[in-house]
Amino acid sequence: MATRPTFSEEVSNLMHASHGNPLKTCIQCGTCSGTCPVAEFMDHTPRRLIGLINANQKEDVLESNTYWYCASCFHCTVRCPSEIDIAGLMYSLKRYSIWKHQYPEDAIGPVFSETFVKSILRSGRSYEPVLAPSYIFSYGVREFLNEAATATNLMLKGRIPVIPPRLKRLENFKKMADRIIPMGGAK
Amino acid sequence: MSTYSYFPGCSLEKMALSYHQSAMQTTNAVGIELKEIDDWNCCGATTYFHVDELLATTLVARNLAIAEEAGHDFVAPCSACFKNAYFASKYLKEDEDLANHINYALEQDNLKFSGSIEVKHLMEVFVDDVGVEEIQERTTHPLKGLRVAPYYGCQIVRPKKDHEDVENPQFFEELITAIGADAINYAYRLRCCGGSLIITSREAALTLVRNLLQSAVDIEADVIATACPLCQTNLEVYQMQVNQEFGTDFSIPIMYFTQLMGLAMGLPKKKLGIGTEFISTDKILTYAKEAA
Amino acid sequence: MDTKKKLLMIDDDPDFVEPIMAILENAGYEVDAKYNPDEGFEALKSGSYDLLLLDVLMGRGAEGIMIARKIGDDEKLRETPILIITGMREQIAFLFPGQPVHPSFVPTDELIEKPVEPDLLLEKVSTLIKMAEERKAQSELN
Repeated sequence: MATRPTFSEEVSNLMHASHGNPLKTCIQCGTCSGTCPVAEFMDHTPRRLIGLINANQKEDVLESNTYWYCASCFHCTVRCPSEIDIAGLMYSLKRYSIWKHQYPEDAIGPVFSETFVKSILRSGRSYEPVLAPSYIFSYGVREFLNEAATATNLMLKGRIPVIPPRLKRLENFKKMADRIIPMGGAK
Repeated sequence: MSTYSYFPGCSLEKMALSYHQSAMQTTNAVGIELKEIDDWNCCGATTYFHVDELLATTLVARNLAIAEEAGHDFVAPCSACFKNAYFASKYLKEDEDLANHINYALEQDNLKFSGSIEVKHLMEVFVDDVGVEEIQERTTHPLKGLRVAPYYGCQIVRPKKDHEDVENPQFFEELITAIGADAINYAYRLRCCGGSLIITSREAALTLVRNLLQSAVDIEADVIATACPLCQTNLEVYQMQVNQEFGTDFSIPIMYFTQLMGLAMGLPKKKLGIGTEFISTDKILTYAKEAA
Repeated sequence: MDTKKKLLMIDDDPDFVEPIMAILENAGYEVDAKYNPDEGFEALKSGSYDLLLLDVLMGRGAEGIMIARKIGDDEKLRETPILIITGMREQIAFLFPGQPVHPSFVPTDELIEKPVEPDLLLEKVSTLIKMAEERKAQSELN
């Protein structure tokens, strides 16, 4: 009979196949926080987040914006003296929070991720205009106008495609994806 | 002539078409053929991995398998595509269980990845395979006196792959020096441009872009050279938004390293996709006028 | 029941595992739980279980599907019936626009979706075990 895993163990289970050392080897040195380019925007710095995970503070971890602010620059990962894959941890938390619908309410990241994934599975390629509506309405008026101006300029410079690209072997591609995540209908 | 399986990636189809054009021109000039991977799909960028790493790896593996079938090493000009392909290939080579599962999915497209090819970033092809000496020899219009800030960004060097120096890489500088320009050293050359945060956490991303531009401008760079379409877009296209947000007046051109190489090799600017940028590159072009 | 039937549950969510284990144990089953796919698969190989209760989204992604496929590839393990219990249609709803989850990965599996009705769970468990025993008896006869 197994004993109930702690939150820290749950996170380790999420990272079971990751390519770094387990979180419990963290020595709280703060190199990650000192390195992280967006630490100042985070509710908790990466060091503190790992501390909270190791102390099983599940709500505090999942409610924070920290993991959605990670830009995947991997600077923390290459510098961690305990060789913890910290950027990999942030990916794990994003995954976990999407699966459990337990992310901060105002986070744009999950919606963006979902739209992106849907777009790829539909056509095999990503297509910028499809991605726009997923986030643009969360902006204030000024940001919205800036963004619209940028999009118009891109269009004028011929840098946004008019027709969404599509794979030739799209059916095979979809069947392939169905073997990994059974989305229904596949044989 | 050596041949590579070329993975342009979604950005190079349109947003970063100039990178594609200049990559084709410059590789051709040094005797390399880039053969586009047939019917390639999106590599998942950074975003796909948020939802399911197994499916993300499968997407990458499909491209790798098609490249392998063509019989050439895989090369990507985009740092994110490169990182995804590099690590997917590495994990598939190391983890038989994972490889079995993903090959089971690839069967649906009559494909199989057996791990017999290498994955490279386009810049590695120039630096390691062609060699900087060769590039120097091909330089007919050295960009003398042009102050270039080489911008590595993130995923071309991180996470650590095998031999490279993640804290103090020099290969970009060597390339810039080979084409006769001055590679200037600045604090933010390895810092993040914000990546896809430009969409999900705009304020944070614009701050990173501002810091980066400031760091290059402080040291009087004429141009920032990039090796990734996302970096180029964040630094150039969002420069105006940075100016509006922070009251700055940045106007520094952001060019692909292949465009600068092309100019130094005397290739016509139009063929290098120069002319579709928001920030004028006229000043840069004047450096390429005099033949050596 | 004379000898207790042994079940293995592989699921990453302790909040789900706890009540399901309680239901099954009350009904006289012996249940082991593993919370990550690697430990789960190891346990399955080393123990002898009458049934596997398998989650889908764990670890890197749809690891449950990977385990089911591995079991299908293994002549011995293939005899163990699998009951897939998944909340994936809700967890990643954006990928399932009204579609059912594709049910069958190995010849011996069945799928139910979370949340689980205790009666339905017990019925499926006993049916799957019975069917496996019949199959086994049949193959011994042949």
